[in-house]
Amino acid sequence: MSDPNTADCDSNLHASYYADGMQQVETELVENEQIAQSTYRLRVAAPTIAARAVPGQFVMIRLAGVNAPLIGRALAIYDIVNNDQGDPTWVDLVYLQKGAFTTPCSQSPVGTPVSLWGPLGNGFDPRPCDRLIMAVGGIGQTPMLLLGREANGAQAFGRPNGWAKDVELIYGARNEGLLAGVDDFRQAGFDVQLCTDDGSAGQQALVPAILEQRLQEIGDTASVRVVTCGPEIMMEKVAECCQKHHVDCQVSMETPMACGIGICFSCVAKVKQADGNWDYKRTCVEGPIFDAGKIDWS
Amino acid sequence: MNQATATPTDSDQPIPNVDLSTKLGRLALPNPIMVASGTFGYAREMQEVVDVSKLGGVLPKTITAEPRVGNAPWRTVETTGGLLNAIGLDNDGVDAFCEHHLPYLVTLNTPIVVSVAGRTEDDFVSLAQLVGQLGVAAVELNLSCPNVSGGIDFGTNASSCHDVVAAARKACPVPILAKLTPNVTRIAEIAKAAQEGGADAVCLINTVLAMAVDWKKRKPILGNGMGGLSGPAIKPIALRCVHQVASAVDIPIIGIGGIANIDDVMQFLVTGASAVQIGTANYYDPTLSTRLVDQLPAALAEINASSVSDVIRTLQV
Ligand SMILES: Cc1cc2nc3c(=O)[nH]c(=O)nc-3n(C[C@H](O)[C@H](O)[C@H](O)COP(=O)(O)OP(=O)(O)OC[C@H]3O[C@@H](n4cnc5c(N)ncnc54)[C@H](O)[C@@H]3O)c2cc1C
Ligand SMILES: Cc1cc2nc3c(=O)[nH]c(=O)nc-3n(C[C@H](O)[C@H](O)[C@H](O)COP(=O)(O)O)c2cc1C
Ligand code: FES
Repeated sequence: MSDPNTADCDSNLHASYYADGMQQVETELVENEQIAQSTYRLRVAAPTIAARAVPGQFVMIRLAGVNAPLIGRALAIYDIVNNDQGDPTWVDLVYLQKGAFTTPCSQSPVGTPVSLWGPLGNGFDPRPCDRLIMAVGGIGQTPMLLLGREANGAQAFGRPNGWAKDVELIYGARNEGLLAGVDDFRQAGFDVQLCTDDGSAGQQALVPAILEQRLQEIGDTASVRVVTCGPEIMMEKVAECCQKHHVDCQVSMETPMACGIGICFSCVAKVKQADGNWDYKRTCVEGPIFDAGKIDWS
Repeated sequence: MNQATATPTDSDQPIPNVDLSTKLGRLALPNPIMVASGTFGYAREMQEVVDVSKLGGVLPKTITAEPRVGNAPWRTVETTGGLLNAIGLDNDGVDAFCEHHLPYLVTLNTPIVVSVAGRTEDDFVSLAQLVGQLGVAAVELNLSCPNVSGGIDFGTNASSCHDVVAAARKACPVPILAKLTPNVTRIAEIAKAAQEGGADAVCLINTVLAMAVDWKKRKPILGNGMGGLSGPAIKPIALRCVHQVASAVDIPIIGIGGIANIDDVMQFLVTGASAVQIGTANYYDPTLSTRLVDQLPAALAEINASSVSDVIRTLQV
């Protein structure tokens, strides 16, 4: 039998991956504030989750005790905040107000009971590089604060940090109002390039176009790594651009999830196999981070 | 364990001395709280989440003779108080199951009931025969999956239900459970056929055939068009089915459908179930199943019951 912890991603066996070490926490909102147009940041005390998370992982969260919405929602871990003793204590999540969960959540006062479980998923692979470029759009910036801080050495998550010399964020949104957390990214020391569909902030351009421009400027891309998160069409274009420039690229897939822990088989994406075929893989346990070359975008 | 964080007070209360064991024909369970097929992965996924050995029984995801990739996304969509799914029996196939999952499952120190599905009677029989020899507690025939087209629907026709149960019973050395669909006019007739075929128990219900539509795109939301509804929204339907079947057959019933708390468990037991299976709630409250085991003694004590068997089929109508 293959060891579930070491089996590689080509395994066809569903149970080779599972939510090891996830904790279910019943707690309440300690902060819930609007940080941009339709965008909110919430904070919960969840030390058992905070202590184990690595960048790129997510939690499932729901408003406790209600049947509508019933099913948890996946939200990337945006920030982990330590208490005075330096112990990881609070988990911050950033969400776009959109539908059945995020709308009532955005209206929920501090003290509202929530149920969450995590950390979930595999997280980004901390592969050393000279320059890490994080290319994100929409609400896809959320996993990048922790990743960039790990890469530039500002924060550590129980594994090597400081593995990139420079960290760059290319962040696109429909308009300026929707750009959320830009100050957090600047304070973390990332080189931030903004773009918007309407030109209200940064360049009037799409994220893949800015990335293309950057890779051309850099020229020797041998030690560049790209990570991307956002609308699938944007990630596909980013992946294409990286392939063209022979740049290592990881994507964070956002397929619809119902459990986040590998037991419902909702969240599948087409992932290429060693034999050239594809198989449906559960992104909640075998992802959400995949090497871009493994995704079958069709 | 995680459930301690979820309900810190459970363990502080004195545990009343009650007998939680329950019997389903030839199948004896340490307690009546099982987890439903397709809602607990292959159990390995849950090993760090709950103490699986506390459960009355575990059902891994339904297996078929050949591996199946399952349906195209979207595979699930939430509806009011429920979840609509069309997974399509995505599974590794019986060979991989026996080689990779079963050796692990049988070490779990809890009764393992393997759910099988086929397109033909022969498929069911050979699967039941094969897994029945490998140390499992029972075999559940999934006669009711709404997401697999092509096969004869054994759950909607009394005589084919009878025949497949009888043939599986003959071929399989361990107890046979028949899992039925609510998508029939008279479920009691199907349950009677399963009883006459020799089923040790009937399990009800599987999901309710249903649909969700995106009117702007003028398309069904699920990749497969229709799907099966589960969760709290279907609990009243499941209770009605358990009641109708309890009035018509003598064999034990396993109640399934929307169970989300200890009150739901007690409602099913009183109405006629000898055990229950937790399904969709595992998705949105992953540690629920073992918490229910902890909560059961106090609930039984509330109505002065000293055993689970004291409350089964005690509904007064
Ligand atoms: C790993 C992962 C991480 C995520 N991280 C974040 C995050 O950090 N911040 C954030 O705001 N959101 C994130 N999401 C998305 C989030 O899980 C919810 O889907 C989103 O918040 C909408 O939920 P809702 O209940 O408000 O909307 P709903 O009422 O569920 O849906 C609103 C609309 O969006 C559509 N929709 C829902 N889910 C998806 C989907 N996955 N893909 C495409 N369309 C969809 C619905 O059909 C509907 O039209 C993440 C998703 C995944 C899988
Ligand atoms: C996503 C999903 C997958 C399921 N897969 C199976 C399956 O493989 N075999 C099976 O017998 N039942 C399957 N079921 C049905 C459940 O076992 C259960 O009968 C049904 O969901 C009703 O219970 P619930 O409301 O508690 O979920 C599945 C249900 C869901 C929601
Ligand atoms: S969300 Fe349930 S298996 Fe991935």
